[in-house]
Amino acid sequence: MYLEVKNLLKYYNRSYTIIKDLTFSVKKGELISFLGESGSGKTTFLKCLAGLEPINGGSISLNSTFLNNDNTFVKPQKRKIGFVFQDYPLFPHLNILDNITFNLERKYKSKLDYILKLTGLQFLVERFPHEISGGEQQRACIARALIREPELLLLDEPFSNLDSTIKESMKEEIFKIVKETKTTTILVTHDINDALNISDRILIFKAGILQQYDDPVKMYCEPANCYCAEVLGDMNKLFHKNETYYIRPEKVNISTKRSKYKIQVEKCFFQGKEYRVKGRINNEIWHFFSSKRIEENSNIYVNFPEKDLIYFDPVCKNFFKDPV
Amino acid sequence: MEVKNNKYLLENKRWIFSSLIFSILILLPVLVLLLNFFSGDQTTLNYLFNTVLFDYSLNTFYLILLTSITALVIGIFPAWVISNYNFYGRKFFDIALYLPLAIPAYIMAFTYIDILNYTGPFQTFLRNYSFLPSDFFNVDYLQIETLGILLGLSLYPYVYTASRISFSLIGSNYINVSKNLGLSTLQTFYKVILPLSRPAIISGLFLVIMEVLNEYGAVKYFGVNTFTSGIFRSWFSLGDINGAIQLACILLIFVLLLFYLEKKSLKNSQFYYSKNSDVFSRKLKKTSKPLLAYFMCLIPFLFGFILPVSFIINNTFHTFSETNFPKLFDLIGNSIFVSTFSAIFIIAIALFLLFVNRISKIKSLSFINNLVSLGYALPGAVIGLGLILIFSSNSLVGSFLILFYAYIIRFLAVGKSPIKSSIEKQPESFDDTGKNLGLGPFKLLKQIHLPVNKYALISAFILVFIDVLKELPITLILSPFNFETLATQTYLFAVEEMLPLSSIYSLIIIVLSSVMLLILKNFIDKQLNVS
Repeated sequence: MYLEVKNLLKYYNRSYTIIKDLTFSVKKGELISFLGESGSGKTTFLKCLAGLEPINGGSISLNSTFLNNDNTFVKPQKRKIGFVFQDYPLFPHLNILDNITFNLERKYKSKLDYILKLTGLQFLVERFPHEISGGEQQRACIARALIREPELLLLDEPFSNLDSTIKESMKEEIFKIVKETKTTTILVTHDINDALNISDRILIFKAGILQQYDDPVKMYCEPANCYCAEVLGDMNKLFHKNETYYIRPEKVNISTKRSKYKIQVEKCFFQGKEYRVKGRINNEIWHFFSSKRIEENSNIYVNFPEKDLIYFDPVCKNFFKDPV
Repeated sequence: MEVKNNKYLLENKRWIFSSLIFSILILLPVLVLLLNFFSGDQTTLNYLFNTVLFDYSLNTFYLILLTSITALVIGIFPAWVISNYNFYGRKFFDIALYLPLAIPAYIMAFTYIDILNYTGPFQTFLRNYSFLPSDFFNVDYLQIETLGILLGLSLYPYVYTASRISFSLIGSNYINVSKNLGLSTLQTFYKVILPLSRPAIISGLFLVIMEVLNEYGAVKYFGVNTFTSGIFRSWFSLGDINGAIQLACILLIFVLLLFYLEKKSLKNSQFYYSKNSDVFSRKLKKTSKPLLAYFMCLIPFLFGFILPVSFIINNTFHTFSETNFPKLFDLIGNSIFVSTFSAIFIIAIALFLLFVNRISKIKSLSFINNLVSLGYALPGAVIGLGLILIFSSNSLVGSFLILFYAYIIRFLAVGKSPIKSSIEKQPESFDDTGKNLGLGPFKLLKQIHLPVNKYALISAFILVFIDVLKELPITLILSPFNFETLATQTYLFAVEEMLPLSSIYSLIIIVLSSVMLLILKNFIDKQLNVS
């Protein structure tokens, strides 16, 4: 494996561990999304990889070289890891060209034109950071990281400061850039759509523990637990054969005939292509979709293929409940 | 198996070690004084307690109270008017109201004594042209009250500056919400703006109090017995070095208490309002009471700058022919020399300490870093005494080395303040990016922190330059033999009752400081625009 993280342990004080026993590996050229809630330690994890934070246990190796373990700590300056920070920290006293070529070894300078073209910054090199947009600043940060041909690229919430119109195009651009340069990339995000759209594999992280590490389709269809299932989209809860099951809203069909599942409609939201319906069945809130508007307070019947039912252990919900 | 982080922590060990050495050197005189206090003879302390201590404490406290009230009144209101209302001359007053900072408090005191005494223009005018009893204004009866107001006039810019920045940073959202909730403009000011600005105003007031405690020239001239004048008297007039140490330590403890109270008060009243507050959309309103606005702005500027400076200019013209110009040029050179070099040393050390604090992230280092700022709260006399105790056995006392050493202790906090706020504004990801791009600590400092914080460094240089230019007690105690500055010469003429002759020296201090202040204002505006 190209990147190997084994039994990684990280805490700032012993009473609160941020990362507990994290083990996973990444193949060369893969784009991995690291998904977790705000404040769950995602950025800390990236900093551990980059050597900006020391680890308290376990090991990190990249391209068959140990970066950090019990005996080794490779300084951040010596790791060939590119880091694109969340707040696009371009140095304000330097123009875009100087930012990109900041402390750059001579051997990489020949790549400048290629990287500028790839990131679409050819005509902005003379400008200063405050003279360009958020999206352009982000591309400049990516260019600064990529020109050094990093063995690993870390992207920390790269879309969080962008508005929805340029967010989609930026996603496509980043995907294109990292695949074209065959750069192994870890993308940290709290937005499931970012992860589903462009990742080869997704890693879901909660309470300091890896919950699931799989490709997007498998993750969506076969979530490892109720937390992973809910992170990836809404779930409707139902009792079936004396057990609790879950079903995704898009698997629920409105039935013209009577069925076992009668829903009282509470709200019907117009979403352009279709309506999103919120209703109640046996005191459980359900969501599903309808091509036509449904009157509020009316009763309708639904059904679904039994094979799409997802089962979790009943204690799963309690396990992931945040402490009050 | 747990990974030991030694290798990570030891990464910057040389920097941390050097920073600790600097900090210990800066705290050394304080430690020596305290050591002497606790190991010294208690009979002197008992004697002081039975004789002068109560008098010194009462006078010091009363003077602080008078100065604080004056500074608050003439500092806050103009800051509010200028931050919120548009009127003809607003931009001029915004700059002019900083200018009293260019006049050292002792020069302000000397000048006003000359204006207000029996033979001065004020009482002469009253006697000749008015029915008012001129005796009522005789400053001999109201020494400490007059001094309190004069110090307030000289020191209010600290409150003005802090309030002005704070009022500008409070965005329109809070004002709009309070108006929407039915509060009048005055109620908004008292119930919303003032409480939100409390941390800034307390910081400004803290500086005023520290300056009052440090003041020697003015209190000596007015014959008011405070701790600082007591230290000088015990030491130089009575030759009682033990008494001076005891007084210095009591003052030190008082200052530590104030320092603690200021930190505690700021901690309790930190508001994080800038992010959800719409700062830039606030438009200046046209005032409906322009006369009141002019009155508020004109009073501090008139009495804090125009009147004393006009009087000094007048005196300068009258004594121009008696001026010893070669000596004057010498003194200008000396003042610029000590101010420039001490400012360079101070900003270099301040940047170094703050940088190490930032890259090390060690809490105890951060605490020590805060502790070295204590020097600003220490009166020059206390620092001087501490250094003489350490170096009395060798010939270093009376050398430039010790003089600069004392300036560094006293004014390091002044240099640190703008650099600290500028460094704190830089996101931590700058450092992380620098490291990620292969920079070691030295390159990080040179290639990122030095250029990114350049405006703050220039501001710090100017602030320290002005403070050293005006400084009196340290220069009086520690300057090399036969080395005089504009400040010491002004003081010497004043105490020898040759006030008119001191005018040209005072004027040059004021002109130099004013020019520097105007440059500083320009840089502050640039910094605000950049941020």
